[in-house]
Amino acid sequence: MANMQSIIFREDVQARIDEIEQADILVGIPSYNNARTIGHVVKAVQAGFAKYFPDRKCVLVNSDGGSTDGTMDIVQNTTVEDYQSVLLSHRVSPFFKLTTPYHGIPGKGSAFRTIFEIADALNVKGCAVVDSDLRSITPEWVELLLKPVIQSDFDYVAPLYSRHKYDGTITNSIVYPLTRALYGKRIRQPIGGDFGFSGRLAKFYLTKNVWETDVARFGIDIWMTTTAIANNFRVCQSFLGAKIHDPKDPGSDLSAMLYQVVSATFDLMSIYPDVWKNVKATETVPAFGFQYAVGLEPVSVNLEKMLERFSLGVRELKDIWKDFLPQEILAFLDKAEGMKKEEFNIPEEVWVEIIYCFALAAHKKIMDREHLLKSLTPLYIGRTASFVIETWNSNAQEVEEKIERLCRVFEENKNILLNKWD
Amino acid sequence: MNMYETIITEPFLKFYEKLLLFLPSFLIAIFILIAGIVFGFLLKNLFSRLFKAIGLDKVSERSGVLELMKKGGMEYSLSVLSARLIGWLTVIIFAGISMSALKIPAVEKLLERFLLYLPNIFVAGLIILLGYLLGNFFGRAALIAAVNSGVRFSKFLSRVVKYTIFILSLTMALEQLGIGKETVIIAFTIIFGGIVLALAISFGLGGRDLAKDYLEKKIKCEEKRDDISHL
Repeated sequence: MANMQSIIFREDVQARIDEIEQADILVGIPSYNNARTIGHVVKAVQAGFAKYFPDRKCVLVNSDGGSTDGTMDIVQNTTVEDYQSVLLSHRVSPFFKLTTPYHGIPGKGSAFRTIFEIADALNVKGCAVVDSDLRSITPEWVELLLKPVIQSDFDYVAPLYSRHKYDGTITNSIVYPLTRALYGKRIRQPIGGDFGFSGRLAKFYLTKNVWETDVARFGIDIWMTTTAIANNFRVCQSFLGAKIHDPKDPGSDLSAMLYQVVSATFDLMSIYPDVWKNVKATETVPAFGFQYAVGLEPVSVNLEKMLERFSLGVRELKDIWKDFLPQEILAFLDKAEGMKKEEFNIPEEVWVEIIYCFALAAHKKIMDREHLLKSLTPLYIGRTASFVIETWNSNAQEVEEKIERLCRVFEENKNILLNKWD
Repeated sequence: MNMYETIITEPFLKFYEKLLLFLPSFLIAIFILIAGIVFGFLLKNLFSRLFKAIGLDKVSERSGVLELMKKGGMEYSLSVLSARLIGWLTVIIFAGISMSALKIPAVEKLLERFLLYLPNIFVAGLIILLGYLLGNFFGRAALIAAVNSGVRFSKFLSRVVKYTIFILSLTMALEQLGIGKETVIIAFTIIFGGIVLALAISFGLGGRDLAKDYLEKKIKCEEKRDDISHL
């Protein structure tokens, strides 16, 4: 496939790239109004460069979406002054910092595209991206995301985290089990947000013409992971410890977020049917990092509100779903709508069939894609509520076993997709 | 000339002469009409195959037009519908030509006015169809958005959106047809303004307590927080 046309760098960025010429390692930080947390992320990355890659030419790139809270200034002005605090006394190679606003559709994917472009221009060997709202990032993350690429020749490093049982519910209930069942690789955090990848893979990403789609927004994470797996790049995972980040803006729209992620996942199913149709079993991928248990901040849950949203959705959107959901599922939803909190439950089998039916409906273009996928929101909320009720007293390991069971149900019922796809 | 010839034979001969003069025109008109029907049928089949060959149905499927048509209650595919439209237009045009071949001044005048008015009917029909399809589309969009925001009267909101768009398109269509131009616009403005005012008053009065409760909850943070991070 031909290279897509490069985005136009600002003159000052181009001049900086010309000045740097070439680099070994690049870490990108996408941002939008993250003044509160980005300073810590920049410091962790800089210390990581110094501590784990002292003899390499390293670049930090901040790709910003037009922050108005001084995020870019903080990136420019933040630096590790006391290297002894990170137990460092040896010589450190020069470290370069680059901040630039990105072009294109506002979103994380467009920010990543700018990072890929700069990585390509500097011909880096290894590249990583980390979120700008992280509060738990340490210098070790830089090592864990980049060493598998630099030393072990892996192309893609997905993160492994300790997360609260109710953190990352779209990942746990849809994206992880579905990606695993489809492509056969057990990548636990396919949309984790912090990844390592080779310069070769960054160049490959740039050959794809996806920057006007949902990939330019929240769809970027699943797109990167799936593209790497489906195109046979060498994939592994690294345990990074706890993932603690700033709470998302309460005004951020769940249905838009869900739509972008699920839409990108379903789009990829239409791009790689020959890959996922032939996958019969799943396998673990190599994992790096020393795994340990972490104490996590509690997450408060408003179950009553979630059940209310589910019931409202079933009452009002049933007419839309009856075009593609089987009669028995609709009958079950009707029944569930009237259930009390104590008895409320959406079993794995029902949930898996719902997701597969939505995937088929999206593939067959039964209705406008945005309407279809946004109508999934109340069902997702219902399933999340059911998960919360089931795991209220469960510890991390029990929760993980529960997710593992959901994954197996996704795998066992893959025939629903295979039989009706064409 | 006797009385019999004056009263009976002469008018009959005149009528016969006129009939002889009219008959060729009439036959030509019939011929043109039949030719038009045959030509329309052939064109319909030809365009139906052409549209299918160039993949018009696939384009309509990809662009969402087919889905809009289905939801609007249309049973045909876009290629069949377009081919039928072309066929009927051909028949109508030929029917017009055939009628003008009759050379009857009254019919000619009527036909001229009808033909001049025809584009208005076509455009008005198109506006109503578009209004109906858009009404359904945006009505559903409003329903989903309202449900996802937790609005209890989502269906009512969706219907308001749907019928407002449809009534607006109906008003535009009537204006296009020149029927009660000002009256229709004024009526629409009054009805629409009335609905908005009624809603404002009813929500203002009826929702006073609701708004108070909501603000109290928000300000006093009484509502239980939900910190689930979905991504």
